[in-house]
Amino acid sequence: MVEAFAVASGKGGTGKTTSTVALGMALADRYDVTIVDADTGMANLLFHAGLEDVETTLHDVMTAGDVPVEAATYDRFGMSVVPCGTSLAGFEDADPERLRGAVADLAAGADVLLLDSPATLGSKSAVLPIVLSDRVIVVLNPTVPAVSDGLKVQEYALSYGSDIAGTIFNRTRGDAESVTEKADRYFEGPTLATVPESDAVQAARSDGTPLLKHAPDSPAAAAFRRAAGALSVADGDSEAVAERFRTAVIPDPP
Amino acid sequence: MIPEGDLLRSRVLTALAPALSAVLERRLDGYALVASRDGLLGSDSERGVVTFEDGVPVLAYHSRTDRGGPQALDDIGAAPYRFDLYALDPDALELPHRNEDLRVGPGTVAERLAGDPALADRTRERAGTLDRDPDDGLEAFLDDEAAIEGIKRSAREEATEKADAWGIEEAIEER
Repeated sequence: MVEAFAVASGKGGTGKTTSTVALGMALADRYDVTIVDADTGMANLLFHAGLEDVETTLHDVMTAGDVPVEAATYDRFGMSVVPCGTSLAGFEDADPERLRGAVADLAAGADVLLLDSPATLGSKSAVLPIVLSDRVIVVLNPTVPAVSDGLKVQEYALSYGSDIAGTIFNRTRGDAESVTEKADRYFEGPTLATVPESDAVQAARSDGTPLLKHAPDSPAAAAFRRAAGALSVADGDSEAVAERFRTAVIPDPP
Repeated sequence: MIPEGDLLRSRVLTALAPALSAVLERRLDGYALVASRDGLLGSDSERGVVTFEDGVPVLAYHSRTDRGGPQALDDIGAAPYRFDLYALDPDALELPHRNEDLRVGPGTVAERLAGDPALADRTRERAGTLDRDPDDGLEAFLDDEAAIEGIKRSAREEATEKADAWGIEEAIEER
């Protein structure tokens, strides 16, 4: 079984990568989880997972062609983590479409695939994770730009045939209930969790350790565990999902 | 003055416009360290720093000349540039961004360093829509059902147009 989720937001800085890692760790109690840095242009998963010194990343898989994705897959915190590099050479030479093949290979061996997606809808490669995933998890902050961009991500996903798994309202301050209730009316899927703003998140990131390991008892960590608990993972056919990624015909525009 | 962020890109660039455009598109909060040809071989002190809020340049400072604002951009010099881009929590930028002496106009970096007036216009446009006190107004925004339906409708139209432009309709139809 496998279900592929894109973790997405229209705006950077909403806590998308923090959410991807936290959901992955929480889901790893029940499932085989693989998390992938699909934001190949502005990778940062490696910083969150303490992998900034590893030699092989998704960039190598996407450039050389003969590097298997297994070589860029690291067992960390109970899940498989596929980071992307930040180097100039890696970015220049990377072929975004090779991402499809890499993700197809990963889909064959996981129950849950979480794709940390680019915080933009501005290019074909940026929307690829949304197009190819089964469902999209939309990460919001309680601000007008973040909610407005989150709505755009949702409408793109629905237009491209992906469903919405739910929203995570991240970095809320004080009583956010009335805002999240109002926002909930406009988003498909449930509000998976409301995650309070927390110094622990920043401290975890500086430490290169995921929040759920750095501060497992923090209210933010508890909220992410609730979000993971609210996600029912569909029992998709691994081969069918892998095949979808592998064979999706996405030609260059004329 | 500015805490260290997460390094997103470290590149040598002959033109800054694509990088600045990517920052704008992703509405990045953070900063870039920019060194010119001379600075590439020089010390770390030969660099300019430009901060971004929501992808829009806010302040500029040059470490060698200790000048801020548009003058700091002049001090950076000519291409090629070493461009190190960092993401930072927007809260960490709040205090530095109160320094009016270091501020640059939203389009100034695109104009002076990238020589791209169209990008400068797009950046100014974004700056004009920035919600400087984002917590205010969200409830009012969410109460305006017609406006939100408008956002959703135009996003759907945009998604369809782009699918056409990117040639991905087939991939979508196959789903």
